Amino acid sequence: MGSKRILLAEDEPNIVAPLQYLLNRAGFDVDVHEDGHAALQAALEDPPDVMVLDVMLPGIDGFEILSRLRNDQRSRNLPVLMLTAKGQREDRERALKTGANLFITKPFANAELIAAVEQLVHDAQPDQAHG
Amino acid sequence: MNDAILGTQIRERRRQIGLTQVALAREIGISASYLNLIEANKRRIAGQLLQRIATALGMDAEDLDGTDERRLSQALDGIARQPAVQKFKAEINRTGEMIGRFPGWARTLAAIADSEQSAQQTARAMADRLAHDPFLGETVHHMLTRIAAIRSVAEILTDVPDIETEERNGFNQLIADEARGLTDLAGALADYFDRAEEAEQTLTPRDEVQAFFAARSNHIPELEDITGPDQEVRVSDIIQKIVRETVFETDMARDLAAQALLGYAFLAQQLPQQSFLQSATDLGFDAEALAQATGMPLPGICQRLAALPPNTDRPRFGYLKADASGAIVQMLALDGLPVPRYVATSPLWVLYRARQIPGQIVRQRAVFSNSIRVVFVAHAHNVAKPGFAQTPDYVTDMLFMSDEDAAKTAYAPDQSTPLEEIGPAAHLFPDASFDQRAEHPFQAAESRK
Repeated sequence: MGSKRILLAEDEPNIVAPLQYLLNRAGFDVDVHEDGHAALQAALEDPPDVMVLDVMLPGIDGFEILSRLRNDQRSRNLPVLMLTAKGQREDRERALKTGANLFITKPFANAELIAAVEQLVHDAQPDQAHG
Repeated sequence: MNDAILGTQIRERRRQIGLTQVALAREIGISASYLNLIEANKRRIAGQLLQRIATALGMDAEDLDGTDERRLSQALDGIARQPAVQKFKAEINRTGEMIGRFPGWARTLAAIADSEQSAQQTARAMADRLAHDPFLGETVHHMLTRIAAIRSVAEILTDVPDIETEERNGFNQLIADEARGLTDLAGALADYFDRAEEAEQTLTPRDEVQAFFAARSNHIPELEDITGPDQEVRVSDIIQKIVRETVFETDMARDLAAQALLGYAFLAQQLPQQSFLQSATDLGFDAEALAQATGMPLPGICQRLAALPPNTDRPRFGYLKADASGAIVQMLALDGLPVPRYVATSPLWVLYRARQIPGQIVRQRAVFSNSIRVVFVAHAHNVAKPGFAQTPDYVTDMLFMSDEDAAKTAYAPDQSTPLEEIGPAAHLFPDASFDQRAEHPFQAAESRK
């Protein structure tokens, strides 16, 4: 089995750069999408192993993407880690309500983010065979 | 009608005007025992009897009718039932009695509760505004994003020893970029709060008038030395011109400024500057002596002293007038002397002391928390209608000057004059007990520096 694929939906290049570096170092392949629509389309057409989804994205926001993913057969069970900003309690609550598997607040520790992605990959293992 | 209040009110009023139960009963044509029942709130009254009682007590029947009291009673009941104060077990069943016996206290309590409620509403509205301000929300989000990038990259740089040089350089550049962006955002945020603070500082019309006079050092040369048969017309024209050429935020400020200028012109006419200056110099700028010499009341003398043309050779005076509540209603300010708006609330202020001994000049030598030393000279007088049992209404006129300038006047303090420490706000006094010291307050203030 090859490397696990992470779809990173984030529009801030200076967040993308370290995240991509870290995820690559942890052994993942990373697809980056800076636009909400493109990220949604990619997730539906070729579901990754885990999606790391920022709340604020151009086009459509992270909540809307998550909601559409959960309403589509192809991505209903796609593990999603949401990135929210610290202090935005409403965002966190909404993320969990909409169906995020985990969320992490910015600013985050690298180890925390990698551990969260690894946990999602691990949790999804049994389902992946017939996913 | 709230009879529980009405009877008590009748009794209080009757005692206040020194009438016995028997005498009042006779006057209104009922028995003393029936009046006793009414006063004990055990009989309801209305109509003609109420009218007769009111007349005998020298009141309007409406005053006894109780509409106001009923409203007040409801308000007080509401206060007593608030969860935060229920533990005090306010005697709700005796609210009417309290209003009847202590109407002033009852209204005070209701007014405080009212003001607290409106303060709470303001606080809630402001908290709400802060939580939903789109600019703040977005700026904080951008700041957190940048901090997240910096933190993540910094961790990579410290935790990954074998990082490629090219990547290291790229990440270093990224930290530099993000730090710059963060600085810009922090600056924008600070600007935003500064602007918000400015917007909160709404000037009252009186503030505007005060600022207008302060900008001219309280001296209006255009209104000095106007003589001749048409002087009234000329004064009016000049005032109109000055007001027209000045930017005021409100019409009320413009009107107040015009009024103040008219007062200025009147005093300038009564006390022409050259001769007044000569007398003032001769008499050591002693306001009382000047009042006697010129026949002008003290407030006019004080304002004229504050309006002397600025000149470094002679002392400069500020002037303020405070109403009975201690609020400043007129001020001719002096640069660098931070006199707060509500000054008389503290016993340390000379204004307060002056009201204790109306008609006498009181002097105070004070040091502000910023080390500025000032001498205050205050005089309170009663402006209420004279008459027995009339509550006095004291207006206080106050001159103030720097400690240095006071030395050139009749108010020069000597070594025995205590130097009292006061803050710009009464509750911020660095040392409220300072005033009470018996020994060498002057030295104590010196060593404090």
